[in-house]
Amino acid sequence: MSDVSELPSKEANVLKGHEGGVLAARFNSDGNYCLSCGKDRTIRLWNPHRGIHIKTYKSHGREVRDVHVTKDNSKLVSCGGDRQVFYWDVATGRVIRKFRGHGSEVNAVKFNEYASVVVSAGYDQSLRAWDCRSHSTEPIQIIDTFSDSVMSVCLTKTEIIAGSVDGTVRTFDIRIGREMSDNLGQPVNCISMSNDDNCILAGCLDSTLRLLDRSTGELLQEYKGHICKSYKLDCCLTNTDAHVAGGSEDGYIYFWDLVDASVLSRFRAHSSVVTSVSYHPTENCMVSASVDGTIKVWKA
Amino acid sequence: MNTDEDDFVFYGTPIQREEELISRKKKAVAEASGHLRTLPSWKQEVRDEEGRRRFHGAFTGGFSAGYYNTAGSKEGWTPQTFTSSRKNRAEFKQQSMLNFLDEDEKEELEGRYLGTASQFDTFGFTAAEIARKQAEKEQQQRPSAVPGPAPDEIVLPATESIGVKLLLKMGWRHGHSINDSHANSLYKARREARKAFLAFSSDDAKSQPEDSEPGEEDQKRILDHPSVDGFSSSQSTPVYILNPKEDTHGLGYDPYKHAPEFREKKRTRVSGKQGHGNKQALSIKDSLFGLKSGRAAPGFGIGALEEYDAEDEDVYASVYEIEDTYIQEDEEPLRSNTENKPKLIWKEQGVLSGFKVALNSDYQLERFDPPVIPKDFLPHHKFPGPLEFDNKPDAPPEVPPPEDDNLKILIEGVATLVARCGKLFEDLSREKNQSNPLFSFLTGGNGHDYYSRKLWEEQQKRNGQKKIALDGKFSSSVDKMTVESRGKILGEMPLERSSRDLSSSIASVNVNLPFNLSDTFTKPESSSEFPEVAKPFQDDPGKQARFEQFLKEKYQGGIRSTVSSGASNMSEAARARERLDFEAAAEVIEKGKFIKENKLHSQQLMGFSAIGGTQLTFGGLQQVKDTQDEDLATKKIYPIREEFQWRPSGILCKRFDLIDPYMGKPPPPPRMRSKMDSLIVTSDLKAMKMEEAFSADRNQPLALQFSPQEVSKDVVDRETEPEVQVENVERPVDLYKAIFSDDSDDEIEASNLNTKEDPEKKVEVVHSTLNRLMAGDFLESLGKELGLEVPPNPPYAANIAGSSRQKESAIPNPGNVNILSVEENSFSIPIAHSVSRKERAANDEKTEKKGESRKDESAKKGESPGPSEDKSDKVHSGKIAREDRKKAKLPPSLHRKRTSTSSDDERSRKQSRRHRHSSSDSYSDSSNDHRDRHHSRSKGRKKRSSREKTSSKKHHKHHKHGSKNSQ
Repeated sequence: MSDVSELPSKEANVLKGHEGGVLAARFNSDGNYCLSCGKDRTIRLWNPHRGIHIKTYKSHGREVRDVHVTKDNSKLVSCGGDRQVFYWDVATGRVIRKFRGHGSEVNAVKFNEYASVVVSAGYDQSLRAWDCRSHSTEPIQIIDTFSDSVMSVCLTKTEIIAGSVDGTVRTFDIRIGREMSDNLGQPVNCISMSNDDNCILAGCLDSTLRLLDRSTGELLQEYKGHICKSYKLDCCLTNTDAHVAGGSEDGYIYFWDLVDASVLSRFRAHSSVVTSVSYHPTENCMVSASVDGTIKVWKA
Repeated sequence: MNTDEDDFVFYGTPIQREEELISRKKKAVAEASGHLRTLPSWKQEVRDEEGRRRFHGAFTGGFSAGYYNTAGSKEGWTPQTFTSSRKNRAEFKQQSMLNFLDEDEKEELEGRYLGTASQFDTFGFTAAEIARKQAEKEQQQRPSAVPGPAPDEIVLPATESIGVKLLLKMGWRHGHSINDSHANSLYKARREARKAFLAFSSDDAKSQPEDSEPGEEDQKRILDHPSVDGFSSSQSTPVYILNPKEDTHGLGYDPYKHAPEFREKKRTRVSGKQGHGNKQALSIKDSLFGLKSGRAAPGFGIGALEEYDAEDEDVYASVYEIEDTYIQEDEEPLRSNTENKPKLIWKEQGVLSGFKVALNSDYQLERFDPPVIPKDFLPHHKFPGPLEFDNKPDAPPEVPPPEDDNLKILIEGVATLVARCGKLFEDLSREKNQSNPLFSFLTGGNGHDYYSRKLWEEQQKRNGQKKIALDGKFSSSVDKMTVESRGKILGEMPLERSSRDLSSSIASVNVNLPFNLSDTFTKPESSSEFPEVAKPFQDDPGKQARFEQFLKEKYQGGIRSTVSSGASNMSEAARARERLDFEAAAEVIEKGKFIKENKLHSQQLMGFSAIGGTQLTFGGLQQVKDTQDEDLATKKIYPIREEFQWRPSGILCKRFDLIDPYMGKPPPPPRMRSKMDSLIVTSDLKAMKMEEAFSADRNQPLALQFSPQEVSKDVVDRETEPEVQVENVERPVDLYKAIFSDDSDDEIEASNLNTKEDPEKKVEVVHSTLNRLMAGDFLESLGKELGLEVPPNPPYAANIAGSSRQKESAIPNPGNVNILSVEENSFSIPIAHSVSRKERAANDEKTEKKGESRKDESAKKGESPGPSEDKSDKVHSGKIAREDRKKAKLPPSLHRKRTSTSSDDERSRKQSRRHRHSSSDSYSDSSNDHRDRHHSRSKGRKKRSSREKTSSKKHHKHHKHGSKNSQ
């Protein structure tokens, strides 16, 4: 068990610029930059370590709910209330392609390993995979076995994992062509993978985070204490997989011990709902975004 | 309207001509201004200046004679009388100007134009002119000795005007200024003062000295004036000032038309240039005329008490400023640029004349932002006199704690609270708990000594650590309590709340101090349990007290008083019933100890109390049940893992750099398989949940009518239920077997495993089963969804069509699953592999419940709650059981009936759904929303798309909503 003092709880920087709530903040793959998106219909690129706003991407017609960047930092993908998935060029800030097809709002979006496919999760109960290589704007696959809004999606090299309000976390294994559905019985808000890819952390709307074993579908642990009842709140594991971090609707950030599920630390991070947390891939650093319009960078 | 008009009495005839006249005039004006000219000539009407059309005579031009009614021609003159050019050929006609002039012009030329009547020709200009002309004429007529026109000086006005006469009478003599120097200077001084006042805000330091010496300036001006105003000169003869045109304006253009001040200014400046002195005096900025006042800040006007005469410039007119800048640019561009701007700014800031604005002022208006209210602050007044008996020097003697452990803890708790919240709290709780024997220590009963000692200790402690940072939870609980208790005192009824509120309020209402204190001291669970939970009858304090007494007796033994306090006035029967209630509640509490969710149970108890008090609504109850079931369910079953076949598209595999697991295999109808799977298996699962929900809330109202014991038993049963049902969830294949057992085996195989083999056949098989299973309802609604018309007994082909189309309609219709699952369950029970003993035990009841749930469903759809729910007071378990059985028999017919009337049902359901949707988020009707969810979702989505900007909160609320239903 590592020391609590290692947890990022000191406010290193405050990134201000979004007008209105920030719905997601994400580190890029190497943790040097961070992307945020919010209700002001913009995506912003920051250097969280220096607290610098680098670029603003404007094109969305409605709120932007999720954003993801490729490993080589060259492309962005974002989605939001305008039912489209935008595929951006990072450097020029131009939209390369817009993927239309979702029947309603798109909640989450991710690149795959090779940045060749974008998978988006929509309120229309479907997952859609879009091809970035070809010029087709038709989805290459639609997965609509969900029976309610799909809130969050994660991709591994071989799998598509998505959590839905119908209470399921479904893993679509492309290699063997199987769908594994883990029904948690509670609407799943957010799923995030452990860094060793063995576990899924699922944030449920009953103010509980649940840790699932991916191979067996077993419920390993439940993390409680925070409030998550009506917002889509993010949760994540720390870079060492030793702790679980999550926001709360009362503006607090919680850290749990992974194993014994005790609340190791909780502190008031924002004045309003903490919508998103993202942990640095290697360091003890975290960004959090809030409805209050700020993004804060936390360091140990 | 009409009647109103009828009521009017009109006298005489309305003058219509006026209107006509007006319109005619208007037309004429328009014409004059050239509007009509834009019309083509044949449309133009010629009118005179009165706007009338003039009739010249049928042979002399009709309505429009000549050119625009002038009787002339376009060329503009009246043609000369015709003379033949044959006779006097090439006669050159000398044309004079007169040929082209009109009569009136000629008149004017002759000098008969408008002039001042000699009577009013004060200064004799007109007279002089006339005289001059006269002289000229005369001279022309009879040449005089002196050649040329007579000099003006000689020719004097023939008459004296009345004004001159008057002036003369007043003592004026020719050659003197009319200006009364006294009056004039007085007037001017006043004027100056006003100007100064106006300038006060706008002027800068430079003008200050001049302003301070208005007299001097005045004199200058007075000196100036003679050269300007001819009539005020001291010469006796009229001085003709020649004003050669020196500017470059067009002829007749007067740039100072609206700003006469500037004319003056210009003149002075020009004269200054010519070396006539006072150049310094009247730069534009310094001038008291014109500019300054013209620029006066709009806030400064002429006072209401001051007279406003024609000479006063319009202070508000912005024209001045424009003119000003225009003129300035002519002459002093530099100055204007540098000085105008800052001045304008200063003016805005209201800088006093003579003061400059410092570049960096050391005085800044300090603004104090309102203090940020901490988020956890509650606008509630804490008791002001907290530790008023702090100064009591005498410490109560050390007293051994009472033997009763509970009492001790209670006393300690109250003491702590009183120490924290003040004496008022003590009074309050004393008042409230008068009837409660537990709190007798407050009024000096058992344990009072210990209490006072404890209180003192606590106060000492608190004094020691003055500022204890109360953590949020504690303070909030304290606050809550006061709010609640106040409500209690005021006799307010607790309103219906969400479950959370309810539980917290329960926790905070009067009696259960220990619960509030649970964070301040630890106590054995058992003791903490009962006062906390023992709140089911909070609506009836007396009853609550009795209940507590009952609990105390039950769990703590000791001597039992035969007559419980306060209950003596009750009838024997009532007491018996109450006792039953208590038993039931106590049992639930007991059970609640095993289940961690105490709150929920206390809430359940609330439910029971509601029967007594008939207070809570069904919504609340159902929610309680719901959450409880949910909770249990999550605990016991979830997560459930299921596996399905899923076919990734080839290109997806390619993009993921993986080998397509289905490569080379013929493309099956991929959606079909997963469709069916999700249809049957997931629906099965959902049905399970449905079942629970049904049994939970459907039974609830009924259960409430049972004797409380039965209720609690019911609860116990429900706990076990989920487990039972899980068993068959996890065996979809078995389920298939169960379903298809009478069909040929290979068909099942085909449908089950290699779905791609014969999709057509598989569809058939599946549909035959479907047909059998779900009756018409599902197909009907499915058909509806697909826009097909499905007859009550759907033909086979239609089904297939429907199902194949079903591929496109992605979502497994959760609604119909319900019925399906009900049947499935009854199928599967005997066949399921591992039927737990619990299930066996619960089997009977389940079927019963199923019937009930079905019945309730129907009730939900159509009528209001069934008859059984009405007699809430009667405790007839037997009767209800019979009823249930009756209902259990119902289903087949019910089914058929539903198929035929399902469209109606659907509609009514939709309506009710809409209703519910609009009602609020707080509704918690979980049961039949399953079937509705899809529809409601889509509707919700539609709604959402129309107001897509809704906050994400709402959005998620919605989700939450749906999710709750999906349980």
